[in-house]
Amino acid sequence: MNKFLLSKKLYRNELATFYSFLIGFLIAIIVGSIILLIQSKNPFDVFSLMLKLSIGSVNSLSNSLNKAIPLILAGLGIAIINSVKLWNIGAEGQIFFGAIALNFVYINTSIENSYLYIFLLLASGFIGGSVCILLPALSKVLFGVNEIITTLLTNYIVFGLTIYLINGVWKDPNSLNFPAAAYVSESVYLPTVFGKLSSGFLICILFTLIAYYIKDKSVFGYEMRIAGGSALTAIYAGISAKQKAFIAMLIGGGFAGLAGAIELLSQTHRVSTGISQGFGYTAIIVAAITGMRPLGIFLVGSLFGALAIGGSVIQTIGVSSYISDIIQATTLFGALIAQFFFSYEIKRVKDD
Amino acid sequence: MKNPILEAKGISKSFGNIKALDDVDFFLEKGIIHGLLGENGAGKSSLMNILSGIYIPEKGTLTINGQLIKRLNPDLASSYGIGMVHQEFRLIDSFSIKDNLTLSKSNIYQNDFSEAFSKYSDIFALNLNAMTPVSELSVGEKQKVEIMKLIFHNSSIMLLDEPTAVLTPQETVQLKESLETLSQEDEKTIVLITHKLKEIKDFTETIYVMKNGKMVAKDLDTKTVSDTQLIELMMGEVKTSKFDKNNFKGDTKLEAVDISFTNEQNIKTLQNVSLEIKSGEVLGVAGVSGNGQVELANIICGIIKDFEGRVIVKTKDVTGKGVKSRKKLNLSYIPENRLGVGLAPGVSVLDNSAIKEYFQASFGPHLSKNVLLNSLNDLINKFSIKAPDVKAEISTLSGGNMQKLLMGRELISNPDVIIAAQPTRGLDVSAVDSIHNLIIDQRDKGSAILLISEDLDELFKLSDRLIVMYEGKVITEIETELATVENIGLAMAGINE
Repeated sequence: MNKFLLSKKLYRNELATFYSFLIGFLIAIIVGSIILLIQSKNPFDVFSLMLKLSIGSVNSLSNSLNKAIPLILAGLGIAIINSVKLWNIGAEGQIFFGAIALNFVYINTSIENSYLYIFLLLASGFIGGSVCILLPALSKVLFGVNEIITTLLTNYIVFGLTIYLINGVWKDPNSLNFPAAAYVSESVYLPTVFGKLSSGFLICILFTLIAYYIKDKSVFGYEMRIAGGSALTAIYAGISAKQKAFIAMLIGGGFAGLAGAIELLSQTHRVSTGISQGFGYTAIIVAAITGMRPLGIFLVGSLFGALAIGGSVIQTIGVSSYISDIIQATTLFGALIAQFFFSYEIKRVKDD
Repeated sequence: MKNPILEAKGISKSFGNIKALDDVDFFLEKGIIHGLLGENGAGKSSLMNILSGIYIPEKGTLTINGQLIKRLNPDLASSYGIGMVHQEFRLIDSFSIKDNLTLSKSNIYQNDFSEAFSKYSDIFALNLNAMTPVSELSVGEKQKVEIMKLIFHNSSIMLLDEPTAVLTPQETVQLKESLETLSQEDEKTIVLITHKLKEIKDFTETIYVMKNGKMVAKDLDTKTVSDTQLIELMMGEVKTSKFDKNNFKGDTKLEAVDISFTNEQNIKTLQNVSLEIKSGEVLGVAGVSGNGQVELANIICGIIKDFEGRVIVKTKDVTGKGVKSRKKLNLSYIPENRLGVGLAPGVSVLDNSAIKEYFQASFGPHLSKNVLLNSLNDLINKFSIKAPDVKAEISTLSGGNMQKLLMGRELISNPDVIIAAQPTRGLDVSAVDSIHNLIIDQRDKGSAILLISEDLDELFKLSDRLIVMYEGKVITEIETELATVENIGLAMAGINE
């Protein structure tokens, strides 16, 4: 009788993650096409329209990239935290909390120089993200509470807090009863650099490089890798795994908080439930597809931004925008399955 | 042998190239406690796994109750009444004691559970409600539930793999009484696997000894066999090859003063241990594993900090300080557990090669990959390590190459003090030789070396002096020239003349 065994491959192609992504994306396009065919739409027409309206012009391209900013920043934060093999499911909450922290500082301060002010507001967004993950981080390192649960639950708390603030103390009297805080002054809007492209995208590039540096080139990144590899080896090496986990979580939360701050200063201009449309969750997909690599997150995040824009515009020809959600999710599925086959092989063994 | 309930004859089993069992015979008699003695890796657990149907032997026959068994599997074994308690607990933590005891389909106390439970609770001195979740039990109590599980599953042959390893001395005495009651009143046939001489003499009526996959002694009468005899059987012959011992010894480089340590389970694993090693000297630590050696190494290396006593490295008192204080004084530690402690699994060869001194490749927050790569290439050349792809995971290296990488990493800085725990365990002959040469080389360069090993051959070959640890104490200290297998072996069994 023959038996089949799953065994881990010793050597993995360096580009395996990239190939997995391509395979996943291809599967996603096929699945998307099938769904469109069932609805008697021509997939070729739909996809070419999506392409045209998401990257076909300066305006649509800048829209796509603006959409990519929070995906990339939150994804980078998730990747940093994953260096110590922890999962941050709370990027969504951290995005909102970054915006709330920004608004709090904005209400209580006033600085003449608008560049300085913008810098201060962005910094408070970053710190807000860190504060948001503080409780999960503390309970993880002090009591070993599972961070997946705590970061996820924090999302609900922060969302509740947002609803409370925009319906209560921060409610804008001029908003015609729409629940939202007052707009920030135009002087602190992030300037655009190219078409409608926000200068937040430049910050995004900068932070991609920072995340890459932290993970791949720094002493801290090295210590995170060892701590993530084996807690006992970390103790043996004199590395405090808990300290690394704590700092990694604060930095990762800060990245997502910064995303919320940029979203507020460049898109919504006020605290409302529209600060994030599930960016924090999509960012998990982005980070997972790329195997937690910062440069990959930048590229896939940009693509997913374009998909979101493409999805929203095809509604005009009667196609549901959910088609882009389906493509994103199926890409992850396909890529993870492909990654599995790059890492493992099925061996046939003879049963004795 | 009057009336064997189980007979295993000519059993052989290999794993890859390693012969775990080689033509082994084993007999069990009804209602008797049998002892199976042997060092780690002698093949005791493999034999038990064959009797309980988990492994299929390549050769040999099994007869149970006079019936020849063609091919055993775990289900069949349990229907013949064979049950095993493994070294790691196989209880469901979130289930109650009752649910764990009655989980199996072969459970015999379905309707009269409470009577049976109270009867065996008495025998095992277990004062617990049957509804208590297993997660709330102490390690000793879990062990009792594990053994009770066999009774509830109607096992008449009970194989207990190192049941005392996790018990306190009082619990061990209690277990002895419980097992005696079971063998006398319920006529249970019991096999106690251990590497502790004292227990095998206390618990059993007849003793089997294994060495390197072979059964070297069968059915010895516990009352008449001597400790010396058992030790010689267990240790085998020691080759007398020795390195030149005319090495120059300098100043004291490592001192441990009056070290005591109580672990998290409240067991005193070290009691008033003192030692001193000079530059150019190898101090061997003999002892059956689990007698405090790992704790001693971890204390000297700064991993355990909450101990009593003092540790002095190169005249500096480092008591209460961490691992990094030792690294600054150029102390190296080669831990017993290669992959998992010394090397981080899932992390690249390159990253693993830098664990000792990665901060030397740092400039502020920046870690220079080039510096790391250069040092790794140095290691690869000097210690002839075969590492085809340094960016691949560490597990792509063979066991010997992993150990060479670990040794090289710890030795390349020419350390003042080296702690090496079981440095050659599981390696093939040529790898063992090259590791021995590395240690002697380092001794001649002036390192003070603490060598912890279970391999007497290795200890005699490399050490200048030997200490023997037993139950957390240094029971003997002796110059290697005066040491014999007999006096070291007796000390390992806790007998000090």
